Amino acid sequence: MTQDTALYVYALLPGRPDAADGVTGLDGRPLRLVAVPGTGVTALVHDAAPEPFQGDDDRVRRWVAQQSEAVTTVWERTGSLLPMTFNVLVADDPATGRSAEQRLGEWIREQADDVENQLRALAGRCELRVEIALDRAAVAGQAGPAEAGDETRLSPGMRRLLAKQREQREKNAAGRLADTLHADLRRRLLSVAEDLRDRGTTGGADETAVLSASLLVRQEDVDAVGLVLSEAQARRPALRIRFLGPWPPYSFAEIRPREQTENAVS
Amino acid sequence: MVSDRSPMRPTREPRVTLDDLVEVLLNKGAVLHLDLIVAVADIPLIGVSVRAAVAGMETMLEYGMMRHWDEATRAWAERSVARRALDLREGERVLSRMAGGHLLTGGVYHGWRPGTVYLTDQRLVVLRDEPREILWQAELDAVRQVRLKPERTVGGEERLRLEVALADGRRELLSAREPETLHDLLSRSGAGRLAPTAAGEEPAVAEGHLWYEEPRRSGPLWRGGRARLTASRLTWKSPVDARPALVLPLTDLAEVGRAPGYGPAGEGSVLVLRTGAGDELRVAADDPARWVRWLESARPVAAAG
Repeated sequence: MTQDTALYVYALLPGRPDAADGVTGLDGRPLRLVAVPGTGVTALVHDAAPEPFQGDDDRVRRWVAQQSEAVTTVWERTGSLLPMTFNVLVADDPATGRSAEQRLGEWIREQADDVENQLRALAGRCELRVEIALDRAAVAGQAGPAEAGDETRLSPGMRRLLAKQREQREKNAAGRLADTLHADLRRRLLSVAEDLRDRGTTGGADETAVLSASLLVRQEDVDAVGLVLSEAQARRPALRIRFLGPWPPYSFAEIRPREQTENAVS
Repeated sequence: MVSDRSPMRPTREPRVTLDDLVEVLLNKGAVLHLDLIVAVADIPLIGVSVRAAVAGMETMLEYGMMRHWDEATRAWAERSVARRALDLREGERVLSRMAGGHLLTGGVYHGWRPGTVYLTDQRLVVLRDEPREILWQAELDAVRQVRLKPERTVGGEERLRLEVALADGRRELLSAREPETLHDLLSRSGAGRLAPTAAGEEPAVAEGHLWYEEPRRSGPLWRGGRARLTASRLTWKSPVDARPALVLPLTDLAEVGRAPGYGPAGEGSVLVLRTGAGDELRVAADDPARWVRWLESARPVAAAG
């Protein structure tokens, strides 16, 4: 039996004693706050054995949902927090006799300026996820009529070749259109969002990806982003739009590593 | 544009968003540079940062040093390592991977950015580990020449850097743990061949590195990237974006001018592109005069009056 000598860390947040009241995390464990004296920062944690959570995909998916729900609940209460990734554990250190809580506190004290600046910068902001793709079939219809002509007299090989060329033309046309739409949507989104991270495109087989991004948005501007999207949809019905969130700013919670220099390579 | 349309509402309904959350929580975002301690199955990695620990495991996995570890631990370590790897394209294969970095020049920041250098059968990439981001990359068929270049470090020692000359005339400096090995591999993988034009793509009149001043709510931001001028349009794309952030049909380009003062490429490097609608776009080039010539000659004659 392993003892709960470690802390599983969910997030760092501005000190507020009741922020974790009644909130549970992975497998229903009650969460608590660890205040760090001398700073305005607290850590959202539960006690854990000093080993990572691991299991099959379904279990991990369940844990992720639980972690996200817990962090979101606390985030809505405090208006700002720095969410951690999955499996961030701090163990105690038998060699020096320091407890996990002491070690976490030491780390936070060292980073307190960065953490507090980040918490201030992210206060009142949320993350939204936007995924936009073009329905290729709908675009092909608009790209102009296929070449007229009686193809039935052609050989099967020739017909295959023509079909392939047509498909390639459609893909190219959709790609060009997607470029234009992307530039326009990106500009419109950046006029309301404070930051945007491109996430790389992953379109389905029958669609051409246009834009996939995480946005950092002030809470009061969520509707402004929604309006950009509904207008884009109205202008071009062939767009498929997914609009997710609001979430704590997962993709924007980042503390600059200190002194990352060429030395890391030597 | 003013609209009475009702705004689209975001959803965080778990049934719809769980896959996205899994990706966010396991792969990206939520990354803090914590020098915290994870004790993996009774093997305490005391005093080692998570990043270093995972990097160490990567090495151990490569050399089979973890075979005595129990299966579950190994699987966890493998997952941790896998999420730091480069996202490969379809059919792309990694030829070599080593610690290294890219020298960022020309902008406000100037300095080495460390990461992992990947050589695949398609491109040369410098990937930052945490948070994972492509710091720099080049298609192999855009690489014209690679040579080893000695350089004296601040500490007074000499190290070999890899100078990569690209088709557009830029020269980039990379560091690598084994510069000679990387140089050999790059030379052998055929870097230097002329790039074939992608099927159906409009041929470029001009192509090269360009800065684009992207308008943003929080104030404009100069970003580095690649510009491509064809007979019909100018596009500009950042290497960290999937598609161009600027697409300007040349029929929309009313005027090309130079702006006084400093840009990211030095004094007098800024070009102002005025659109038919009266908007002003700003780009900056190392060779502004050449871009003005290219743009002027590509601009439709009818718009020149």
